[in-house]
Amino acid sequence: MKGSVVLAVCRVALLWAAAISVLFPVLWIALASVKSPAQLNDPFLLSFTPTLDAWRTVLSSDILAAAGRSAIVAVTTVGISVIVGSMGAYAIARFRAGGTLTRFGMLAAQVLPPAVLVFPFLTMAYALRLNDTIVPVIFAHLSFVLPVVTWFLIGFFEAVPRSLEEQAQVDGFTRFQAFRLVVLPQVLPGIGAAAIFGFTLSWNDLFYGLILAPGKAAILPVAIAGFNTFRGVQIGSMSAAILIAVVPVVIASFFIQRRLVQGISGGAVKF
Amino acid sequence: MTFKHGMVAPLVALFLGVVGFPLGYAFYLSITGYRLTERGTPNMVGAKNYLATLQDGAFWHAFGTTALFVCVAVSLELVIGLAIALALQKQRWARDVTRSMLLAPMFITPIAVGLIFRFLLNDQIGAIPTMLHGIGVDYDFFGPGRALFTLAVIDVWQWTPFMVLLLLAGLESIPREPLEAARVDGAGGWYVLRRVTLPLLAPVLVVAILLRCLDAMKVFEYVFATTRGGPGTETETLQYFVYQTGIQFFRLGSASSMAFVVLLLVLTIIVIVFRRLERAKQS
Repeated sequence: MKGSVVLAVCRVALLWAAAISVLFPVLWIALASVKSPAQLNDPFLLSFTPTLDAWRTVLSSDILAAAGRSAIVAVTTVGISVIVGSMGAYAIARFRAGGTLTRFGMLAAQVLPPAVLVFPFLTMAYALRLNDTIVPVIFAHLSFVLPVVTWFLIGFFEAVPRSLEEQAQVDGFTRFQAFRLVVLPQVLPGIGAAAIFGFTLSWNDLFYGLILAPGKAAILPVAIAGFNTFRGVQIGSMSAAILIAVVPVVIASFFIQRRLVQGISGGAVKF
Repeated sequence: MTFKHGMVAPLVALFLGVVGFPLGYAFYLSITGYRLTERGTPNMVGAKNYLATLQDGAFWHAFGTTALFVCVAVSLELVIGLAIALALQKQRWARDVTRSMLLAPMFITPIAVGLIFRFLLNDQIGAIPTMLHGIGVDYDFFGPGRALFTLAVIDVWQWTPFMVLLLLAGLESIPREPLEAARVDGAGGWYVLRRVTLPLLAPVLVVAILLRCLDAMKVFEYVFATTRGGPGTETETLQYFVYQTGIQFFRLGSASSMAFVVLLLVLTIIVIVFRRLERAKQS
């Protein structure tokens, strides 16, 4: 019995330690975003009059526009991926359409190092005079969001009983109507999770954005990366900008964590 | 065109457009002497870039650095992740809140994680060095011989949650009977973990380790945010090295050939792991 008490204490201690290590850096950044530059030089100054100067600087800077561009890129990428991906995933799950190759392609694309694909996108963008716009970024993001979203959805479509759409066809629906009006509503939670997950992937990507649109059309991670000149003055606004990038996706992630494992494993594991 | 082909056609077409074509184009670039600064048709150089890459000491240095980074980061993530997953499995109080919070780091954009830690570990104004200084320890987190380890710890902070997510799902899908049978037979907790739980968890462990290794190989943001490859070239990882070759030196041909060598290495790892898995399934 004594052993199990020790074990229980260790278990709770471990979880507390993990929780503190997760929270501390984020809270520290939140704290830094309301400190003045002078106060930032004293890390352990905890009682101070908070200032919103850093937030004012950030909100009047290019960060909000960059966040807007990131949102446009992510929403466009996810929108296309969900429409094309759900149709494809349904055909793959139900009819084995495209054979093993298509299914495997969705998985294989997820391990492609971005360094392989980025230079073709860059030269094509130059050729079409679209460099430093968000257009090549959207195409580049499609290259990883589309396979992930499709893979994610295959598992959810496989879980829908076949009898449902057979019944719908008996009732006089065409096959596409049966898909759109009967099957899709069944996988709506899965589609929601896939969309949020895809949005997170696109929103968080630095590599493609940095190479394809480093200048006036910078997306949010690229704009944030610009803060690493690291003068004391900038730390407050850097912290505020980081919070703008982090808070929305972390909140959104709370809604999808339960379905994430099922999606990542292509339906092989249920959470 | 039948219904099923009509449904999958847009996917295949778009996939070929955004993955297939660039992949082929990247291969074409890798056998040319293309530079971003030159106009006109690039000259074909055949396997020259590949030979140069394979003989490039800096490339293999970056390869070694990346391998070391992946080994350190993923083994720490595995051990800590397993411990946290086991602890979470028994957690009843505030279960969902605890899980959501502990999983949150994996959703933060990696460049932000890199900058947060650069600030936190800065030797003048960083919280942690100041704390350490308070107890009489001076430790430069980004100094020679330490920077790569610091980067691995940043990776651990962000990606242990991913390990926890997969392992927790694996643990919860393990059948209860063998565990209970072992307990009834009077086996201790440590014995049950080693002889019953871990073997049953093996397939999930392999997938989790594989996914983490493949992802950790692409490490770029932490290097970009903190050390930029330094001190010296100590933390120059593959992805960062390819980025430099392509973007700072405009040598897209060489950079593409390097990326392909990396891709081949990745594929080799996957094939080996899958062979092993198949063999394990058969025996």
